[in-house]
Amino acid sequence: MRNLLRIRELPIAVVLVAFFSIAALGNHQLFSFSGLHDLLFGSSIICLLVSAETLIIVMKHIDLSIGSTIGFASYIIGKNASNGHGLLYCLLLGIIFGLAVGAVNGLLVAYFKLPSLVVTLGTLYLVRGLFNQVAGGDFINSDKVPHVLSFMASHTFAKIPYLFIVAFVLALIVGFYMRNFRSGRDLYAIGSNLPAAYLAGIKVEKRTFWAFTAAGGIAGLGGALLIARFGQAQANSGLGIELGVVAACVVGGVAIAGGIGTVFGAIIGALLLQTIVLALGALGVSQFWQGVVNGALLIAAISLDKVLSSRSQRTQIMRVSE
Amino acid sequence: MNFLTRIRSSIGWDKGVGALLVLTIVIGSLVTPDFATTSNLGFVVQDIGEIMIIALPMTFLIIAGEIDLSVASALSLVSSSIGYSFAHGVPFGWALVIGILVGLATGALNGFLVNYLGLQSLAVTIGTMGLFRGLCFVLLGSNPVNQLPDFWTGLGINNIPGTFLPWSFLLIAPLVIIALILLHFTRIGRWTFAAGISSEAANFAGIPVKRFKFFMYVATGFMVSLAAIVYTLRFASASPDSAMGYELTTIAAVLFGGVSIAGGFGTMWGVIFSVIELGAIRSVLQLVNFSSNALQIVSGSLLLFSVAVPKVAEMLKARRETRVKTPTPSLTSSRSVE
Amino acid sequence: MEKVLEIRGAAKRFGGVQALVDANLTLYPREIHALLGENGAGKSTLLKTLAGVHKLDAGSITLFGKEFIANGTRGSLEQGIAVIYQEPNLFPDLTLAENVFIGRQLTHGKTVAWKEMAEQSAALFKRLGVPLDPSRRARGLSIADQQIVEIAKALSLSAKVIVMDEPTAALSANETERLFGVARSLREEGAALVFVSHRLDEVMALCDRVTIMRDGATVATAPIAEVDTDKIVKWMVGRELSDLFPKMKANIGETILKVENISREGQFEDISFEVKAGEIVGIAGLVGSGRSEVIRAIFGIDNYEKGSVTFLGKKMKKNRPNQAMQDGIALVPEDRRQQGLFMPVSITRNTSITLLKGVSKFGLLRKASETGITAEWSKKMQLKFNSLEDSVDRLSGGNQQKVVLAKWLSTKPKLLIIDEPTRGIDVGTKSEVHRFLSQEATKGLGILMISSELPEVLGMSDRVLVMREGRLVAHFNADQANPENVIAAASGASK
Repeated sequence: MRNLLRIRELPIAVVLVAFFSIAALGNHQLFSFSGLHDLLFGSSIICLLVSAETLIIVMKHIDLSIGSTIGFASYIIGKNASNGHGLLYCLLLGIIFGLAVGAVNGLLVAYFKLPSLVVTLGTLYLVRGLFNQVAGGDFINSDKVPHVLSFMASHTFAKIPYLFIVAFVLALIVGFYMRNFRSGRDLYAIGSNLPAAYLAGIKVEKRTFWAFTAAGGIAGLGGALLIARFGQAQANSGLGIELGVVAACVVGGVAIAGGIGTVFGAIIGALLLQTIVLALGALGVSQFWQGVVNGALLIAAISLDKVLSSRSQRTQIMRVSE
Repeated sequence: MNFLTRIRSSIGWDKGVGALLVLTIVIGSLVTPDFATTSNLGFVVQDIGEIMIIALPMTFLIIAGEIDLSVASALSLVSSSIGYSFAHGVPFGWALVIGILVGLATGALNGFLVNYLGLQSLAVTIGTMGLFRGLCFVLLGSNPVNQLPDFWTGLGINNIPGTFLPWSFLLIAPLVIIALILLHFTRIGRWTFAAGISSEAANFAGIPVKRFKFFMYVATGFMVSLAAIVYTLRFASASPDSAMGYELTTIAAVLFGGVSIAGGFGTMWGVIFSVIELGAIRSVLQLVNFSSNALQIVSGSLLLFSVAVPKVAEMLKARRETRVKTPTPSLTSSRSVE
Repeated sequence: MEKVLEIRGAAKRFGGVQALVDANLTLYPREIHALLGENGAGKSTLLKTLAGVHKLDAGSITLFGKEFIANGTRGSLEQGIAVIYQEPNLFPDLTLAENVFIGRQLTHGKTVAWKEMAEQSAALFKRLGVPLDPSRRARGLSIADQQIVEIAKALSLSAKVIVMDEPTAALSANETERLFGVARSLREEGAALVFVSHRLDEVMALCDRVTIMRDGATVATAPIAEVDTDKIVKWMVGRELSDLFPKMKANIGETILKVENISREGQFEDISFEVKAGEIVGIAGLVGSGRSEVIRAIFGIDNYEKGSVTFLGKKMKKNRPNQAMQDGIALVPEDRRQQGLFMPVSITRNTSITLLKGVSKFGLLRKASETGITAEWSKKMQLKFNSLEDSVDRLSGGNQQKVVLAKWLSTKPKLLIIDEPTRGIDVGTKSEVHRFLSQEATKGLGILMISSELPEVLGMSDRVLVMREGRLVAHFNADQANPENVIAAASGASK
């Protein structure tokens, strides 16, 4: 049965491996440890954020505010570090900030019953606006980034970049929670059939609120990775990243219609998107195609999902035999 | 949700926004003498021009129960196409025509995916948002095209001779009037509301919902291309990162104008007032030397405000009703005894 | 004998509607109890009360001698009452095992015990005699199997009272038999079942006792052995049935609709028939036999792969409801609230939606002409309303149906396709609708009518077509059609 549940991720994993191999055949550098490193390092931020977004999309909601949250959190962490505060303190501030944004989203979506698209669009704006207001033209550059973070960005463990390890461990935790805890299962139930979830006595509001809060917290933590990855923070940090995150989730089989998908799949989705970017680069195609590829893959993924599911949707009246 | 939308119409949300606009103008005039001047009015018109042009079709889309998050990227793509064509030797007039064709194509793509493949418009247009933006960079790299013909950029920057209004006013004013009439006084408008209330019932009422919504998206693409032309001429530049965040501002303005995100309800008046209100607030804030970031904060707040207020009113009313109606059932009393 | 459940003097009011006045119901162990009544008699309110959705204004519910506390579906389940709706509400993306245990998944410590859950649900399915795979997802499960999952859920909570709301409405004959088998075995195990149905033959075959409701009150309770269908109908209706179907003699004219060999994969196959002007053609058949799908295709809502539809000598394009409407076809769909009306919108706007071209001048809508036509038709249909600007969700079911009829008849159609013309409307309005349809037929309107109510089909139609499993299986003229041969054709029983 476990296999059955995972089957949804299988095709995309196959596509990932196939694509990576084909791209690597064309360019030997890609199919090497440095190619693998680039892949994992480049996708680490998205891989972290898919854990947050999967929690939300599975409930048939969406969180567009994570890009603003991670950006502001990275600035908060960088600013406090450059003011001489310790890393833990800075990290805590970033996470608390993320939790706060998430809690606002959760409050408005879960208890005020407002559409998550509108709410998180609003907070995307608000947080980015506040960020610009606070940061202005301020620029946190690499020598102000806490040492541990810049070490993590430039080192690997068993050839795997530390940043990716952080994202992956978090994904394991979130994935395990969603699969094996009752409250995690509730998220799927909520996204699969909301009225039935209420009837089954699931605490819909509470779950929704905490899922949004957790997603915000993850984005807050992500601030640390973001500043480590780019070695800087400024007013446009994290701008527009939510698009790539949603694309990775959907490509990885997390249905935008709710109820289906895993963090594991979303990570594969993120890696696939990053592979394509790297492959394009390796094949000499301009990096400007990245956005096009993300968008096109997102559309292809939801189209495919629709085609596959609509086949079984026509009510069958004719019977072959009774 | 029905109730939510009903209070919006019964308290006349659109009139409320109109009143707020008047209030903003009064306060603005009191705070700074520069506000209520003709030159500032001209400036406000120019400032909100593109948003107004895109908000009109967006109102139709949201009332019909759909949404388009790709409008800003599409605008940028049209602008980039114009710049790209011009930079490659196409006469500017023809470059504009190409731009309009590109705009129509973006709308047709969204319309096809949403209506004929039956995909969720939210997901589709998040995808095309990335796609169109990506294409901008593919076309122009990171280099904007700046050397546009003076005659055209003059149209974007100058006022109509002898007036305080920019040339774009001649385009925007008729569009606003046409949209107003279409939505509230024609069959097209009724079909829009019908599709938003129940697309199934609309289908059963003989409305060709799919084709209708498809053309709505194509029309959106057309309007976006007009907005793109205004934008390109105004900034005298075609740049791949044009109109960043305009989709959010537009949607915020439409929702603040009282259009229900669930579809089926809203007025064009409300949206028109709301866009002007946005321009007025922005103008006041600028004149009193608030930072330009404040607009983002204002837009975000307006958006949340416009969905939260009717909801809170509904909750309060629901609470009041249950309090009046529920005659303490025997069940609860005996429960407390146990 | 010890009573399992006792409802006494239940009353419930919604706004201006007194849904329950004095409802009484007593259940004993090991019985299948039929709860009957016309639509609007208060059955569903009573069921929802048992499901913990509503709280009573007055009256008492006693369960095993203890007071029943209305506290949501979950609360009801925990107290031992399971309510299974006509179309169960499963989680399509979760496995059957998880659906059975939703909200109370078995766990080892904190984590979900997938294996145990699968084993236990498999055991439950086996006990019900329906070996479903517990690890499959619920999406795509037939309604009959979905009901089995719901019953398994009830069993897993050891529910002592199982309430089934019209469970057989969408089931085939075989599936119905299977469900009855399950019901009987549950009775043997000591459970009390409440069975709501509109099919009296099923009630007579399955149930032990019957309670009949009318206008929110219980009018009678009796052992099945002591009643017959005539008596039950009399209790339900409270009046004689004779004047229900005022069929008038119409002059039957030329063929207007000619359907030739149309097929849609998986839904219907090789359907051919004609409708003439002034004729009422009834389509009988069980719910889910493909009747609605055929008329959807004719009107252009759905596509069809083979065959052709000719209307007034012109071959109809596929998938063009707009064109069908302009050519003179009207479709009154089966689901009034979802398909027939725009619920939160005014009577005027609902009526005029099909007429927008007619009430426009130079492309602009003329309010006066719109209101005029609506007022005219409301009068013709004897619509009861406060203001034409009221939204239709404030109207009763019968009046809503009149608005749908007005919206379509005002287009002056040549052919009216009507799916379940009187579903869920009160008896008085029912006969008004029948009289109206009959009257329009005498004026030359061709009518194609789907109905699940046999008396309606037989009483109204000039010809009766019968569908079963997507095929047209029989064709009777009015004088040949009788309940026996229509039912036999619809259910596939040998004659």
